[in-house]
Amino acid sequence: MTDQIREQLSALLDGELPKDEMGLLVRRLEKDAALRRAFGSYALIGETLRAPGGRIATTGFAARVSAAIDDTAGVTPVAQPGLAAGAEAQWSPGQESAAAAMNPAAAAGAQRVPLWQRPMVRTALAASAAAAAVLLFRPDAAPVVADLGPPPAASDAMTNASPTPAQSQRLASYMVVHSQYSTPLVRRNVLSSLLAADPGITRVSYEMGEAP
Amino acid sequence: MQAMPNFPPPDESMKSREPGDDDAGLPAGTEQSDLELVRRAQRNERGAFDLLVLKYQHKVVKLVARLLRDPTEAEDVAQEAFVKAYRALGSFRGDSAFYTWLYRIAVNTARNSIASRQRRPLDYEADLSESEQNNVAARLKHDDTPEASVLSEEIRVTVNHAIEQLPEDLRTAIVLREVEGLSYEEIADAMDCPVGTVRSRIFRAREAIDRALQPLLD
Repeated sequence: MTDQIREQLSALLDGELPKDEMGLLVRRLEKDAALRRAFGSYALIGETLRAPGGRIATTGFAARVSAAIDDTAGVTPVAQPGLAAGAEAQWSPGQESAAAAMNPAAAAGAQRVPLWQRPMVRTALAASAAAAAVLLFRPDAAPVVADLGPPPAASDAMTNASPTPAQSQRLASYMVVHSQYSTPLVRRNVLSSLLAADPGITRVSYEMGEAP
Repeated sequence: MQAMPNFPPPDESMKSREPGDDDAGLPAGTEQSDLELVRRAQRNERGAFDLLVLKYQHKVVKLVARLLRDPTEAEDVAQEAFVKAYRALGSFRGDSAFYTWLYRIAVNTARNSIASRQRRPLDYEADLSESEQNNVAARLKHDDTPEASVLSEEIRVTVNHAIEQLPEDLRTAIVLREVEGLSYEEIADAMDCPVGTVRSRIFRAREAIDRALQPLLD
């Protein structure tokens, strides 16, 4: 980081940086943790001189804010054009890397929610399960719930690289019935069909460890 | 449940607490710069909003800590305020300064936090008798955690000491900027030097103070 860039940073804090220099500097800051730290320190110096005392933000606070925004931005991004005419809301691919650049804690924060729990991924999983159920479930097939039992262990899943159609059908039904994101209608239809296929079934337990 | 206090309107409270500069208690010239950062953030340049967070994090945390009964919650509430601000950024039209807008969000977030916990906040702006004011001041001081107080005091001492160590031209430039709130042009007039020199002196002053601060912040 050159002194010239840091001097630009200092001028930016004071509102004295020419507008045409701001864009490049902002992009640099997105990738440069040292620049971010310097900017935060410059701001702290000014705050201390103008209003000493009182509580201040701890190190890493800004990074935590950035990570928190990353966690929620997929649900509610900046959507409405305000000062910027015609600006459209969209997910910025650099958001998480920017948070990570601010502080290692930001990277940890950004990874706090596993990928499969992110809203879009959850929706995709639920949709995939529903689609699999529609494609694979046949009412005339052998009932799959009566001998459903506990789900296969992880080691089983790892060793069975190519599941049979019956296994796929069981898996699809299991996912549909258990997914909190599948609709009640889908779940009811699947259960009704299965029960109709085998009148001998009077009660089916779907919870692992629950007594039959 | 105790009655919720009336927080002061942001503009009035800021004028009464931090006179001399613009209504956010900041040096002159930052409003346009903030506005440009907001424009960029609205175009999904997240780095621009991150800069605004870095710039105002201490002001917002300090504000929220003074409003809440439990200052240890200040960072959580301040974080929530920044997230709300980001999500509402599309509605910011620039009718007021960015910090004024952020101030309102922070105050409302603090109020909501207080209401949700059914706690009575410390309304330092309320019209209190002298003895009540003394009690409030004592509680404000008492409620801050020892670690936060010590760090804040160490930072203040370090910054002041570092400024005293600066060459006179650097010290004058940084004080005129940060304390008096003068623009670079006004400082150039006062110090009879080019604006570029002012910019360089302020930067070098900040660098020197920053070096002194780093052991505290790392």
